[in-house]
Amino acid sequence: MAASEHPNGPARREPPPKRVRSRQERRDLWYPYILIAPTMITLVIVGLVPFTFAIFISFHEMTYLNMGGFAGVDNYSKLLGDSRFWHSLLISFIFVAIAVPIEFALGLVGALVLSQFVRLRSFVIPALFIPTMMAPIVVALAWKIMLAGSWGLLSYNVLERFGILDETSAFASPDLALFALIFVDIWEWTPFMTLAFFAGIQSLPANPYRAAVVDGANALQRFFRLTLPMMTPLFAVIGLLRLIDAFKVFDTIFLLTGGGPGTATESVSVLGYKLVFEFWEIGRASALAVVVWILFFIFCNVFYQIAQKKLKAF
Amino acid sequence: MRAAARRRRAFIYLALSLLYLVILLFPVYWMAMMMVKPADLMFVRPTEWAFSPTLSHFEYVVEHGFLGNLGTSLIVSIGSTLLVVVIGTPAAYAFARFKIWRRDDLFLFILATRMAPPVALAIPFYLIYAKLDILDTHLGLIVVYLTFNLSFYVWVLCSFCRDLPVELEEAALADGYSRAHVLYKIVLPLLRPGIVATSVLCFIFAWNEFLYAFLLGGRSVKTLPVAIPTLITGQGVLWGELAVVGVIAIVPVFIVVFYLQRHIIRGLTLGAVKG
Repeated sequence: MAASEHPNGPARREPPPKRVRSRQERRDLWYPYILIAPTMITLVIVGLVPFTFAIFISFHEMTYLNMGGFAGVDNYSKLLGDSRFWHSLLISFIFVAIAVPIEFALGLVGALVLSQFVRLRSFVIPALFIPTMMAPIVVALAWKIMLAGSWGLLSYNVLERFGILDETSAFASPDLALFALIFVDIWEWTPFMTLAFFAGIQSLPANPYRAAVVDGANALQRFFRLTLPMMTPLFAVIGLLRLIDAFKVFDTIFLLTGGGPGTATESVSVLGYKLVFEFWEIGRASALAVVVWILFFIFCNVFYQIAQKKLKAF
Repeated sequence: MRAAARRRRAFIYLALSLLYLVILLFPVYWMAMMMVKPADLMFVRPTEWAFSPTLSHFEYVVEHGFLGNLGTSLIVSIGSTLLVVVIGTPAAYAFARFKIWRRDDLFLFILATRMAPPVALAIPFYLIYAKLDILDTHLGLIVVYLTFNLSFYVWVLCSFCRDLPVELEEAALADGYSRAHVLYKIVLPLLRPGIVATSVLCFIFAWNEFLYAFLLGGRSVKTLPVAIPTLITGQGVLWGELAVVGVIAIVPVFIVVFYLQRHIIRGLTLGAVKG
Protein backbone atom coordinates (compact mmCIF):
# COMPACT_ATOMS: atom_id res chain seq x y z
CA MET A 1 0.00 0.00 0.00
CA ALA A 2 1.28 3.40 -0.98
CA ALA A 3 0.46 4.93 2.40
CA SER A 4 3.14 2.87 4.16
CA GLU A 5 5.85 4.96 2.54
CA HIS A 6 4.92 7.89 4.76
CA PRO A 7 3.58 6.45 7.97
CA ASN A 8 2.77 9.89 9.37
CA GLY A 9 2.09 11.61 6.09
CA PRO A 10 4.16 14.43 4.65
CA ALA A 11 5.27 17.01 7.21
CA ARG A 12 2.77 19.84 7.54
CA ARG A 13 3.82 23.44 7.44
CA GLU A 14 2.52 25.59 10.25
CA PRO A 15 1.21 28.95 8.99
CA PRO A 16 -1.41 30.86 11.04
CA PRO A 17 -4.28 28.36 11.33
CA LYS A 18 -7.28 30.57 10.58
CA ARG A 19 -6.38 31.84 7.09
CA VAL A 20 -5.07 28.47 5.95
CA ARG A 21 -8.38 26.82 6.72
CA SER A 22 -10.48 29.13 4.67
CA ARG A 23 -8.04 28.93 1.79
CA GLN A 24 -8.02 25.17 2.06
CA GLU A 25 -11.78 25.16 2.05
CA ARG A 26 -11.95 27.36 -0.98
CA ARG A 27 -9.53 25.11 -2.78
CA ASP A 28 -11.60 22.06 -1.82
CA LEU A 29 -14.61 23.72 -3.30
CA TRP A 30 -12.87 24.12 -6.65
CA TYR A 31 -11.10 20.77 -6.59
CA PRO A 32 -13.82 18.61 -8.24
CA TYR A 33 -14.30 21.19 -10.97
CA ILE A 34 -10.59 21.15 -11.75
CA LEU A 35 -10.80 17.37 -12.07
CA ILE A 36 -13.77 17.37 -14.43
CA ALA A 37 -12.67 20.40 -16.45
CA PRO A 38 -10.55 18.57 -19.06
CA THR A 39 -13.34 16.09 -19.74
CA MET A 40 -16.08 18.67 -19.92
CA ILE A 41 -14.07 20.98 -22.18
CA THR A 42 -13.19 18.09 -24.49
CA LEU A 43 -16.78 16.91 -24.67
CA VAL A 44 -18.00 20.40 -25.42
CA ILE A 45 -15.50 20.61 -28.27
CA VAL A 46 -16.17 17.18 -29.76
CA GLY A 47 -19.86 16.95 -28.86
CA LEU A 48 -21.61 20.24 -28.34
CA VAL A 49 -19.74 22.25 -30.97
CA PRO A 50 -20.42 19.84 -33.87
CA PHE A 51 -24.00 19.53 -32.71
CA THR A 52 -24.47 23.31 -32.66
CA PHE A 53 -22.75 23.53 -36.01
CA ALA A 54 -25.18 20.93 -37.43
CA ILE A 55 -28.11 23.04 -36.20
CA PHE A 56 -26.52 26.11 -37.77
CA ILE A 57 -26.01 24.41 -41.13
CA SER A 58 -29.49 22.98 -41.11
CA PHE A 59 -30.87 26.51 -41.32
CA HIS A 60 -28.69 27.47 -44.27
CA GLU A 61 -28.53 26.79 -47.95
CA MET A 62 -25.67 24.51 -48.83
CA THR A 63 -24.13 23.84 -52.20
CA TYR A 64 -21.67 21.02 -51.70
CA LEU A 65 -19.43 22.17 -48.87
CA ASN A 66 -20.08 25.90 -49.33
CA MET A 67 -22.52 27.66 -47.13
CA GLY A 68 -25.05 29.94 -48.77
CA GLY A 69 -27.60 32.29 -47.26
CA PHE A 70 -30.05 31.76 -44.44
CA ALA A 71 -32.73 29.34 -45.53
CA GLY A 72 -35.13 29.32 -42.60
CA VAL A 73 -36.82 25.99 -42.10
CA ASP A 74 -36.45 25.10 -45.76
CA ASN A 75 -34.24 22.09 -45.15
CA TYR A 76 -36.59 20.79 -42.50
CA SER A 77 -39.72 21.16 -44.57
CA LYS A 78 -37.99 19.42 -47.48
CA LEU A 79 -36.81 16.63 -45.20
CA LEU A 80 -40.14 16.16 -43.47
CA GLY A 81 -41.93 16.33 -46.80
CA ASP A 82 -39.71 13.63 -48.26
CA SER A 83 -41.39 10.24 -48.19
CA ARG A 84 -37.97 8.65 -48.31
CA PHE A 85 -37.18 10.07 -44.88
CA TRP A 86 -40.35 8.63 -43.36
CA HIS A 87 -39.67 5.36 -45.10
CA SER A 88 -36.21 5.21 -43.54
CA LEU A 89 -37.69 5.93 -40.11
CA LEU A 90 -40.15 3.12 -40.69
CA ILE A 91 -37.36 0.74 -41.70
CA SER A 92 -35.37 1.62 -38.58
CA PHE A 93 -38.49 1.21 -36.49
CA ILE A 94 -39.30 -2.22 -37.94
CA PHE A 95 -35.69 -3.27 -37.49
CA VAL A 96 -35.66 -2.29 -33.83
CA ALA A 97 -39.18 -3.54 -33.11
CA ILE A 98 -38.43 -7.04 -34.38
CA ALA A 99 -34.76 -7.48 -33.48
CA VAL A 100 -34.68 -6.09 -29.95
CA PRO A 101 -37.62 -8.06 -28.43
CA ILE A 102 -36.31 -11.31 -29.92
CA GLU A 103 -32.80 -10.61 -28.64
CA PHE A 104 -34.32 -9.75 -25.29
CA ALA A 105 -36.37 -12.94 -25.03
CA LEU A 106 -33.65 -15.26 -26.29
CA GLY A 107 -31.11 -13.54 -24.08
CA LEU A 108 -33.28 -14.05 -21.03
CA VAL A 109 -33.82 -17.72 -21.85
CA GLY A 110 -30.10 -18.15 -22.33
CA ALA A 111 -29.34 -16.43 -19.04
CA LEU A 112 -31.81 -18.64 -17.16
CA VAL A 113 -30.34 -21.78 -18.72
CA LEU A 114 -26.84 -20.65 -17.77
CA SER A 115 -27.87 -19.91 -14.21
CA GLN A 116 -29.46 -23.37 -13.89
CA PHE A 117 -26.65 -25.42 -15.37
CA VAL A 118 -23.36 -24.51 -13.83
CA ARG A 119 -21.30 -26.80 -15.99
CA LEU A 120 -22.37 -25.16 -19.23
CA ARG A 121 -20.86 -21.87 -18.19
CA SER A 122 -17.21 -22.66 -18.63
CA PHE A 123 -17.50 -23.24 -22.36
CA VAL A 124 -20.62 -21.29 -23.31
CA ILE A 125 -19.66 -17.94 -21.79
CA PRO A 126 -16.37 -17.47 -23.65
CA ALA A 127 -18.15 -18.28 -26.92
CA LEU A 128 -20.80 -15.68 -26.18
CA PHE A 129 -18.15 -12.98 -26.21
CA ILE A 130 -17.20 -13.71 -29.80
CA PRO A 131 -20.13 -12.08 -31.64
CA THR A 132 -20.41 -9.37 -28.99
CA MET A 133 -16.88 -8.09 -29.35
CA MET A 134 -16.30 -8.77 -33.04
CA ALA A 135 -16.12 -5.72 -35.27
CA PRO A 136 -19.64 -5.35 -36.76
CA ILE A 137 -18.10 -5.06 -40.19
CA VAL A 138 -16.53 -8.50 -39.73
CA VAL A 139 -19.88 -9.87 -38.53
CA ALA A 140 -21.30 -8.58 -41.79
CA LEU A 141 -18.45 -10.17 -43.71
CA ALA A 142 -18.96 -13.56 -42.08
CA TRP A 143 -22.66 -13.47 -42.94
CA LYS A 144 -22.02 -12.24 -46.42
CA ILE A 145 -19.97 -15.38 -46.89
CA MET A 146 -22.79 -17.50 -45.46
CA LEU A 147 -25.72 -15.90 -47.26
CA ALA A 148 -24.58 -13.85 -50.22
CA GLY A 149 -25.17 -14.71 -53.84
CA SER A 150 -26.58 -18.00 -54.88
CA TRP A 151 -23.28 -19.56 -53.83
CA GLY A 152 -23.16 -18.62 -50.14
CA LEU A 153 -23.03 -21.69 -47.93
CA LEU A 154 -26.54 -21.24 -46.56
CA SER A 155 -28.09 -19.81 -49.70
CA TYR A 156 -27.06 -22.85 -51.65
CA ASN A 157 -27.34 -25.61 -49.08
CA VAL A 158 -30.41 -24.47 -47.19
CA LEU A 159 -32.42 -21.68 -48.82
CA GLU A 160 -32.25 -23.09 -52.32
CA ARG A 161 -32.59 -26.73 -51.36
CA PHE A 162 -35.79 -26.01 -49.48
CA GLY A 163 -37.08 -23.82 -52.26
CA ILE A 164 -37.18 -20.57 -50.28
CA LEU A 165 -35.04 -18.71 -52.78
CA ASP A 166 -33.77 -19.52 -56.21
CA GLU A 167 -30.56 -18.33 -57.86
CA THR A 168 -30.37 -15.24 -55.68
CA SER A 169 -29.35 -14.22 -52.20
CA ALA A 170 -31.42 -13.25 -49.20
CA PHE A 171 -29.79 -9.81 -49.26
CA ALA A 172 -30.81 -9.17 -52.85
CA SER A 173 -34.44 -10.09 -52.36
CA PRO A 174 -36.69 -7.07 -51.61
CA ASP A 175 -38.92 -9.16 -49.36
CA LEU A 176 -36.25 -10.93 -47.38
CA ALA A 177 -33.37 -8.46 -47.20
CA LEU A 178 -34.59 -6.63 -44.11
CA PHE A 179 -35.29 -9.88 -42.30
CA ALA A 180 -31.89 -11.24 -43.23
CA LEU A 181 -30.36 -8.12 -41.66
CA ILE A 182 -32.53 -8.56 -38.59
CA PHE A 183 -31.38 -12.16 -38.36
CA VAL A 184 -27.74 -11.06 -38.45
CA ASP A 185 -28.43 -8.49 -35.75
CA ILE A 186 -30.05 -11.15 -33.57
CA TRP A 187 -27.08 -13.43 -34.11
CA GLU A 188 -24.74 -10.61 -33.14
CA TRP A 189 -26.53 -9.25 -30.07
CA THR A 190 -28.39 -12.12 -28.37
CA PRO A 191 -25.13 -13.27 -26.75
CA PHE A 192 -24.63 -9.81 -25.26
CA MET A 193 -28.13 -9.88 -23.78
CA THR A 194 -27.48 -13.34 -22.37
CA LEU A 195 -24.24 -12.21 -20.76
CA ALA A 196 -25.78 -9.08 -19.29
CA PHE A 197 -28.86 -10.83 -17.92
CA PHE A 198 -26.79 -13.69 -16.58
CA ALA A 199 -24.52 -11.30 -14.73
CA GLY A 200 -27.63 -9.56 -13.41
CA ILE A 201 -29.18 -12.80 -12.15
CA GLN A 202 -25.89 -13.77 -10.53
CA SER A 203 -25.82 -10.54 -8.55
CA LEU A 204 -29.33 -11.03 -7.09
CA PRO A 205 -29.37 -11.66 -3.34
CA ALA A 206 -29.69 -15.34 -2.37
CA ASN A 207 -31.79 -14.99 0.78
CA PRO A 208 -35.20 -14.35 -0.80
CA TYR A 209 -34.73 -17.55 -2.80
CA ARG A 210 -33.87 -19.57 0.29
CA ALA A 211 -36.95 -18.21 2.02
CA ALA A 212 -39.08 -19.03 -1.03
CA VAL A 213 -37.82 -22.61 -1.12
CA VAL A 214 -38.59 -23.01 2.58
CA ASP A 215 -42.09 -21.67 1.91
CA GLY A 216 -42.52 -24.24 -0.84
CA ALA A 217 -42.51 -21.98 -3.92
CA ASN A 218 -41.83 -23.82 -7.16
CA ALA A 219 -39.43 -22.71 -9.88
CA LEU A 220 -42.08 -20.83 -11.87
CA GLN A 221 -43.31 -18.94 -8.82
CA ARG A 222 -39.76 -18.05 -7.88
CA PHE A 223 -39.14 -16.72 -11.37
CA PHE A 224 -42.30 -14.60 -11.57
CA ARG A 225 -42.41 -13.45 -7.96
CA LEU A 226 -38.69 -12.94 -7.29
CA THR A 227 -36.42 -12.89 -10.33
CA LEU A 228 -38.67 -10.85 -12.57
CA PRO A 229 -39.49 -8.03 -10.11
CA MET A 230 -35.91 -7.74 -8.92
CA MET A 231 -34.58 -7.69 -12.47
CA THR A 232 -37.09 -5.20 -13.91
CA PRO A 233 -34.90 -2.07 -13.62
CA LEU A 234 -31.98 -3.91 -15.17
CA PHE A 235 -34.21 -5.15 -17.98
CA ALA A 236 -35.26 -1.58 -18.65
CA VAL A 237 -31.71 -0.25 -18.72
CA ILE A 238 -30.27 -2.98 -20.91
CA GLY A 239 -33.29 -3.01 -23.18
CA LEU A 240 -33.04 0.71 -23.72
CA LEU A 241 -29.31 0.58 -24.27
CA ARG A 242 -29.80 -2.08 -26.91
CA LEU A 243 -32.69 -0.13 -28.42
CA ILE A 244 -30.54 2.94 -28.89
CA ASP A 245 -27.67 0.97 -30.39
CA ALA A 246 -29.97 -0.99 -32.69
CA PHE A 247 -31.47 2.25 -33.95
CA LYS A 248 -28.00 3.45 -34.94
CA VAL A 249 -26.97 0.30 -36.81
CA PHE A 250 -24.98 1.13 -39.90
CA ASP A 251 -21.97 -1.13 -40.49
CA THR A 252 -23.78 -4.38 -41.16
CA ILE A 253 -26.42 -2.79 -43.39
CA PHE A 254 -23.77 -0.87 -45.28
CA LEU A 255 -21.73 -3.95 -46.14
CA LEU A 256 -24.55 -6.44 -46.62
CA THR A 257 -27.12 -4.48 -48.62
CA GLY A 258 -26.05 -0.84 -48.79
CA GLY A 259 -29.68 0.07 -48.10
CA GLY A 260 -30.93 -1.88 -51.08
CA PRO A 261 -32.41 -3.52 -53.01
CA GLY A 262 -34.02 -0.19 -53.90
CA THR A 263 -34.68 1.35 -50.52
CA ALA A 264 -35.85 -1.87 -48.87
CA THR A 265 -33.27 -1.72 -46.07
CA GLU A 266 -32.51 1.99 -46.01
CA SER A 267 -32.46 2.86 -42.33
CA VAL A 268 -32.10 6.40 -41.00
CA SER A 269 -28.33 6.00 -40.63
CA VAL A 270 -27.95 4.77 -44.18
CA LEU A 271 -30.13 7.57 -45.52
CA GLY A 272 -28.07 10.12 -43.59
CA TYR A 273 -24.93 8.69 -45.11
CA LYS A 274 -26.38 8.76 -48.62
CA LEU A 275 -27.68 12.32 -48.27
CA VAL A 276 -24.16 13.52 -47.63
CA PHE A 277 -21.89 11.27 -49.60
CA GLU A 278 -24.04 10.35 -52.56
CA PHE A 279 -26.47 13.22 -53.08
CA TRP A 280 -24.38 15.96 -51.43
CA GLU A 281 -27.51 17.39 -49.81
CA ILE A 282 -25.61 18.70 -46.83
CA GLY A 283 -28.35 21.03 -45.62
CA ARG A 284 -30.99 18.35 -45.60
CA ALA A 285 -28.55 15.86 -44.07
CA SER A 286 -27.91 18.30 -41.22
CA ALA A 287 -31.64 18.66 -40.69
CA LEU A 288 -31.81 14.86 -40.50
CA ALA A 289 -28.95 14.84 -38.02
CA VAL A 290 -30.78 17.32 -35.79
CA VAL A 291 -34.05 15.37 -35.93
CA VAL A 292 -32.25 12.16 -35.06
CA TRP A 293 -30.45 13.93 -32.23
CA ILE A 294 -33.72 15.08 -30.73
CA LEU A 295 -35.09 11.54 -30.84
CA PHE A 296 -31.99 10.27 -29.14
CA PHE A 297 -32.01 12.90 -26.49
CA ILE A 298 -35.48 11.76 -25.50
CA PHE A 299 -34.37 8.11 -25.39
CA CYS A 300 -31.34 9.09 -23.35
CA ASN A 301 -33.30 11.01 -20.81
CA VAL A 302 -35.68 8.11 -20.25
CA PHE A 303 -32.73 5.75 -19.95
CA TYR A 304 -31.08 7.97 -17.40
CA GLN A 305 -34.19 8.48 -15.29
CA ILE A 306 -34.83 4.73 -15.09
CA ALA A 307 -31.21 3.85 -14.51
CA GLN A 308 -30.78 6.35 -11.75
CA LYS A 309 -34.09 6.27 -9.94
CA LYS A 310 -34.81 2.55 -10.13
CA LEU A 311 -31.44 0.92 -10.39
CA LYS A 312 -29.38 3.49 -8.50
CA ALA A 313 -26.57 2.28 -10.70
CA PHE A 314 -25.07 5.51 -11.87
CA MET B 1 -37.47 -41.63 -11.30
CA ARG B 2 -37.07 -37.90 -10.62
CA ALA B 3 -33.33 -38.17 -10.92
CA ALA B 4 -33.68 -39.76 -14.34
CA ALA B 5 -36.08 -37.05 -15.47
CA ARG B 6 -33.73 -34.39 -14.28
CA ARG B 7 -30.82 -36.00 -16.05
CA ARG B 8 -32.81 -36.17 -19.26
CA ARG B 9 -33.70 -32.49 -18.96
CA ALA B 10 -30.06 -31.60 -18.37
CA PHE B 11 -29.16 -33.59 -21.45
CA ILE B 12 -31.70 -31.70 -23.56
CA TYR B 13 -30.34 -28.36 -22.37
CA LEU B 14 -26.81 -29.52 -23.07
CA ALA B 15 -27.77 -30.55 -26.59
CA LEU B 16 -29.57 -27.24 -27.20
CA SER B 17 -26.59 -25.29 -25.89
CA LEU B 18 -24.25 -27.18 -28.16
CA LEU B 19 -26.52 -26.51 -31.12
CA TYR B 20 -26.53 -22.82 -30.22
CA LEU B 21 -22.75 -22.83 -29.99
CA VAL B 22 -22.54 -24.29 -33.48
CA ILE B 23 -24.79 -21.51 -34.79
CA LEU B 24 -22.63 -18.94 -33.02
CA LEU B 25 -19.25 -20.26 -34.00
CA PHE B 26 -19.78 -21.77 -37.42
CA PRO B 27 -19.85 -18.53 -39.45
CA VAL B 28 -16.60 -17.47 -37.80
CA TYR B 29 -15.05 -20.88 -38.41
CA TRP B 30 -16.20 -20.86 -42.03
CA MET B 31 -14.71 -17.43 -42.57
CA ALA B 32 -11.43 -18.54 -40.97
CA MET B 33 -11.34 -21.56 -43.28
CA MET B 34 -11.54 -19.29 -46.28
CA MET B 35 -8.17 -17.83 -45.35
CA VAL B 36 -6.50 -20.96 -46.70
CA LYS B 37 -9.06 -22.06 -49.27
CA PRO B 38 -8.01 -21.84 -52.93
CA ALA B 39 -9.97 -19.14 -54.75
CA ASP B 40 -11.46 -21.48 -57.35
CA LEU B 41 -12.98 -23.76 -54.70
CA MET B 42 -14.44 -20.92 -52.65
CA PHE B 43 -18.04 -21.08 -53.81
CA VAL B 44 -18.30 -24.11 -56.06
CA ARG B 45 -21.65 -25.82 -56.01
CA PRO B 46 -22.02 -28.26 -54.39
CA THR B 47 -19.97 -26.97 -51.48
CA GLU B 48 -16.44 -28.30 -51.26
CA TRP B 49 -15.65 -29.39 -47.72
CA ALA B 50 -12.16 -30.82 -48.19
CA PHE B 51 -9.36 -28.98 -49.96
CA SER B 52 -5.60 -28.56 -49.87
CA PRO B 53 -4.76 -25.31 -48.09
CA THR B 54 -3.01 -22.41 -49.80
CA LEU B 55 -1.17 -19.40 -48.45
CA SER B 56 -1.72 -17.21 -51.51
CA HIS B 57 -4.29 -15.01 -49.78
CA PHE B 58 -1.80 -14.15 -47.06
CA GLU B 59 0.77 -13.24 -49.68
CA TYR B 60 -1.66 -10.91 -51.40
CA VAL B 61 -2.58 -9.24 -48.12
CA VAL B 62 1.07 -8.63 -47.22
CA GLU B 63 2.02 -7.46 -50.73
CA HIS B 64 -0.83 -5.00 -51.00
CA GLY B 65 0.08 -3.21 -47.81
CA PHE B 66 -2.68 -4.34 -45.49
CA LEU B 67 -0.16 -4.50 -42.69
CA GLY B 68 -0.08 -0.72 -43.04
CA ASN B 69 -3.80 -0.68 -42.24
CA LEU B 70 -3.05 -2.78 -39.19
CA GLY B 71 -0.53 -0.14 -38.14
CA THR B 72 -3.04 2.65 -38.69
CA SER B 73 -5.63 0.80 -36.63
CA LEU B 74 -3.11 0.39 -33.82
CA ILE B 75 -2.00 4.03 -33.86
CA VAL B 76 -5.50 5.42 -33.89
CA SER B 77 -6.93 3.03 -31.28
CA ILE B 78 -4.03 3.26 -28.86
CA GLY B 79 -3.70 7.01 -29.32
CA SER B 80 -7.33 7.69 -28.61
CA THR B 81 -7.42 5.27 -25.66
CA LEU B 82 -4.39 6.87 -23.99
CA LEU B 83 -5.90 10.29 -24.44
CA VAL B 84 -9.17 9.09 -22.93
CA VAL B 85 -7.45 7.63 -19.88
CA VAL B 86 -5.48 10.79 -19.20
CA ILE B 87 -8.42 13.14 -19.62
CA GLY B 88 -11.16 10.97 -18.18
CA THR B 89 -9.77 9.35 -15.05
CA PRO B 90 -9.86 12.47 -12.81
CA ALA B 91 -13.36 13.30 -13.99
CA ALA B 92 -14.68 9.80 -13.23
CA TYR B 93 -13.23 10.06 -9.73
CA ALA B 94 -14.66 13.53 -9.18
CA PHE B 95 -18.15 12.48 -10.27
CA ALA B 96 -18.08 9.53 -7.91
CA ARG B 97 -16.79 11.39 -4.86
CA PHE B 98 -17.68 15.05 -4.75
CA LYS B 99 -20.65 17.32 -4.66
CA ILE B 100 -20.77 18.96 -8.03
CA TRP B 101 -23.13 21.72 -9.09
CA ARG B 102 -25.89 20.20 -11.30
CA ARG B 103 -24.09 16.87 -11.25
CA ASP B 104 -27.01 14.98 -12.76
CA ASP B 105 -27.33 17.34 -15.70
CA LEU B 106 -23.62 17.22 -16.41
CA PHE B 107 -23.67 13.46 -16.22
CA LEU B 108 -26.61 13.31 -18.60
CA PHE B 109 -24.67 15.52 -20.99
CA ILE B 110 -21.82 13.00 -20.86
CA LEU B 111 -24.21 10.14 -21.54
CA ALA B 112 -25.77 12.03 -24.44
CA THR B 113 -22.44 12.26 -26.24
CA ARG B 114 -22.06 8.49 -25.84
CA MET B 115 -25.52 7.85 -27.26
CA ALA B 116 -25.09 10.25 -30.17
CA PRO B 117 -25.88 8.61 -33.51
CA PRO B 118 -22.57 8.59 -35.43
CA VAL B 119 -24.19 9.62 -38.69
CA ALA B 120 -25.59 12.76 -37.09
CA LEU B 121 -22.16 13.66 -35.72
CA ALA B 122 -20.16 12.62 -38.75
CA ILE B 123 -21.80 15.26 -40.93
CA PRO B 124 -20.68 18.33 -38.93
CA PHE B 125 -17.35 16.66 -38.24
CA TYR B 126 -16.79 16.18 -41.94
CA LEU B 127 -17.46 19.87 -42.63
CA ILE B 128 -15.31 21.07 -39.73
CA TYR B 129 -12.46 18.75 -40.67
CA ALA B 130 -12.64 19.90 -44.29
CA LYS B 131 -12.24 23.50 -43.04
CA LEU B 132 -9.39 22.64 -40.68
CA ASP B 133 -7.79 20.43 -43.32
CA ILE B 134 -7.46 17.42 -41.04
CA LEU B 135 -9.58 15.02 -43.05
CA ASP B 136 -7.77 11.74 -43.56
CA THR B 137 -5.28 12.20 -40.71
CA HIS B 138 -4.55 10.11 -37.62
CA LEU B 139 -5.25 13.13 -35.44
CA GLY B 140 -8.69 13.58 -36.94
CA LEU B 141 -9.73 10.02 -36.12
CA ILE B 142 -8.20 10.12 -32.64
CA VAL B 143 -10.20 13.24 -31.84
CA VAL B 144 -13.49 12.00 -33.24
CA TYR B 145 -13.17 8.75 -31.26
CA LEU B 146 -13.22 10.84 -28.12
CA THR B 147 -16.92 11.48 -28.72
CA PHE B 148 -17.97 7.97 -27.82
CA ASN B 149 -14.94 6.75 -25.87
CA LEU B 150 -14.37 9.60 -23.43
CA SER B 151 -17.98 9.70 -22.35
CA PHE B 152 -18.11 5.92 -22.12
CA TYR B 153 -14.90 5.83 -20.07
CA VAL B 154 -15.99 8.47 -17.57
CA TRP B 155 -19.39 6.88 -17.17
CA VAL B 156 -18.13 3.33 -16.54
CA LEU B 157 -15.05 4.21 -14.51
CA CYS B 158 -17.27 6.31 -12.28
CA SER B 159 -19.15 3.13 -11.38
CA PHE B 160 -15.84 1.48 -10.48
CA CYS B 161 -14.84 4.52 -8.40
CA ARG B 162 -17.99 4.28 -6.35
CA ASP B 163 -16.94 0.81 -5.17
CA LEU B 164 -13.76 2.14 -3.57
CA PRO B 165 -13.93 2.57 0.20
CA VAL B 166 -13.90 6.27 1.02
CA GLU B 167 -12.32 5.57 4.44
CA LEU B 168 -8.85 5.07 2.96
CA GLU B 169 -8.93 8.47 1.35
CA GLU B 170 -10.24 10.11 4.52
CA ALA B 171 -7.48 8.47 6.55
CA ALA B 172 -4.86 9.69 4.11
CA LEU B 173 -6.27 13.22 4.22
CA ALA B 174 -6.25 13.12 8.01
CA ASP B 175 -2.61 12.10 7.83
CA GLY B 176 -1.92 15.32 5.97
CA TYR B 177 -1.81 14.06 2.39
CA SER B 178 -2.78 16.65 -0.15
CA ARG B 179 -5.78 16.00 -2.41
CA ALA B 180 -3.52 15.39 -5.38
CA HIS B 181 -1.44 12.97 -3.34
CA VAL B 182 -4.53 11.02 -2.32
CA LEU B 183 -5.59 10.71 -5.94
CA TYR B 184 -2.18 9.62 -7.10
CA LYS B 185 -1.07 7.36 -4.25
CA ILE B 186 -4.34 5.89 -2.94
CA VAL B 187 -7.04 6.07 -5.58
CA LEU B 188 -5.13 5.25 -8.75
CA PRO B 189 -3.54 2.01 -7.48
CA LEU B 190 -6.90 0.77 -6.17
CA LEU B 191 -8.62 1.75 -9.37
CA ARG B 192 -6.16 0.05 -11.67
CA PRO B 193 -8.31 -3.02 -12.52
CA GLY B 194 -11.20 -0.75 -13.42
CA ILE B 195 -9.00 1.50 -15.53
CA VAL B 196 -7.55 -1.48 -17.38
CA ALA B 197 -10.94 -3.05 -18.10
CA THR B 198 -12.57 0.19 -19.20
CA SER B 199 -9.69 1.36 -21.35
CA VAL B 200 -9.48 -2.04 -23.03
CA LEU B 201 -13.11 -1.63 -24.01
CA CYS B 202 -12.35 1.84 -25.35
CA PHE B 203 -9.53 0.34 -27.36
CA ILE B 204 -11.87 -2.30 -28.79
CA PHE B 205 -14.55 0.24 -29.69
CA ALA B 206 -12.00 2.37 -31.52
CA TRP B 207 -10.53 -0.72 -33.15
CA ASN B 208 -13.93 -1.92 -34.37
CA GLU B 209 -15.23 1.48 -35.42
CA PHE B 210 -16.21 1.78 -39.05
CA LEU B 211 -18.37 4.78 -39.92
CA TYR B 212 -16.12 7.62 -38.73
CA ALA B 213 -13.01 5.92 -40.01
CA PHE B 214 -14.68 5.42 -43.36
CA LEU B 215 -15.99 8.97 -43.73
CA LEU B 216 -13.28 11.01 -42.03
CA GLY B 217 -10.30 8.86 -42.98
CA GLY B 218 -10.36 6.54 -45.89
CA ARG B 219 -7.49 7.18 -48.27
CA SER B 220 -4.08 7.47 -46.66
CA VAL B 221 -5.39 6.79 -43.14
CA LYS B 222 -7.34 3.59 -43.52
CA THR B 223 -8.10 1.36 -40.54
CA LEU B 224 -8.65 -2.39 -40.87
CA PRO B 225 -12.47 -2.25 -40.84
CA VAL B 226 -12.36 0.33 -43.63
CA ALA B 227 -9.93 -1.83 -45.60
CA ILE B 228 -12.48 -4.64 -45.72
CA PRO B 229 -14.94 -3.13 -48.23
CA THR B 230 -12.04 -2.11 -50.51
CA LEU B 231 -11.50 -5.79 -51.27
CA ILE B 232 -14.96 -5.90 -52.80
CA THR B 233 -13.90 -4.50 -56.15
CA GLY B 234 -15.57 -3.94 -59.48
CA GLN B 235 -13.56 -6.81 -60.93
CA GLY B 236 -14.78 -9.22 -58.30
CA VAL B 237 -14.63 -9.99 -54.62
CA LEU B 238 -11.38 -11.23 -53.12
CA TRP B 239 -12.99 -13.55 -50.60
CA GLY B 240 -9.87 -15.23 -49.29
CA GLU B 241 -8.16 -11.88 -48.73
CA LEU B 242 -11.30 -10.54 -47.08
CA ALA B 243 -11.24 -13.49 -44.70
CA VAL B 244 -7.60 -12.87 -43.84
CA VAL B 245 -8.16 -9.18 -43.08
CA GLY B 246 -11.35 -9.97 -41.16
CA VAL B 247 -9.63 -12.52 -38.96
CA ILE B 248 -6.67 -10.20 -38.36
CA ALA B 249 -9.21 -7.60 -37.23
CA ILE B 250 -10.87 -9.86 -34.64
CA VAL B 251 -8.06 -11.99 -33.20
CA PRO B 252 -6.43 -9.28 -31.01
CA VAL B 253 -9.83 -8.42 -29.60
CA PHE B 254 -10.56 -12.02 -28.59
CA ILE B 255 -7.22 -12.43 -26.89
CA VAL B 256 -7.83 -9.40 -24.69
CA VAL B 257 -11.46 -10.22 -24.02
CA PHE B 258 -10.82 -13.69 -22.69
CA TYR B 259 -8.56 -12.25 -20.02
CA LEU B 260 -11.06 -9.69 -18.81
CA GLN B 261 -14.44 -11.40 -19.23
CA ARG B 262 -16.10 -10.32 -16.01
CA HIS B 263 -15.24 -6.65 -16.16
CA ILE B 264 -16.29 -6.44 -19.76
CA ILE B 265 -19.94 -7.18 -19.03
CA ARG B 266 -19.96 -4.36 -16.55
CA GLY B 267 -18.48 -2.02 -19.09
CA LEU B 268 -20.81 -3.05 -21.90
CA THR B 269 -23.87 -2.41 -19.74
CA LEU B 270 -22.43 1.01 -18.80
CA GLY B 271 -21.94 -0.19 -15.23
CA ALA B 272 -25.54 -1.32 -14.73
CA VAL B 273 -24.41 -4.88 -13.89
CA LYS B 274 -21.68 -5.27 -11.34
CA GLY B 275 -20.33 -8.39 -13.13
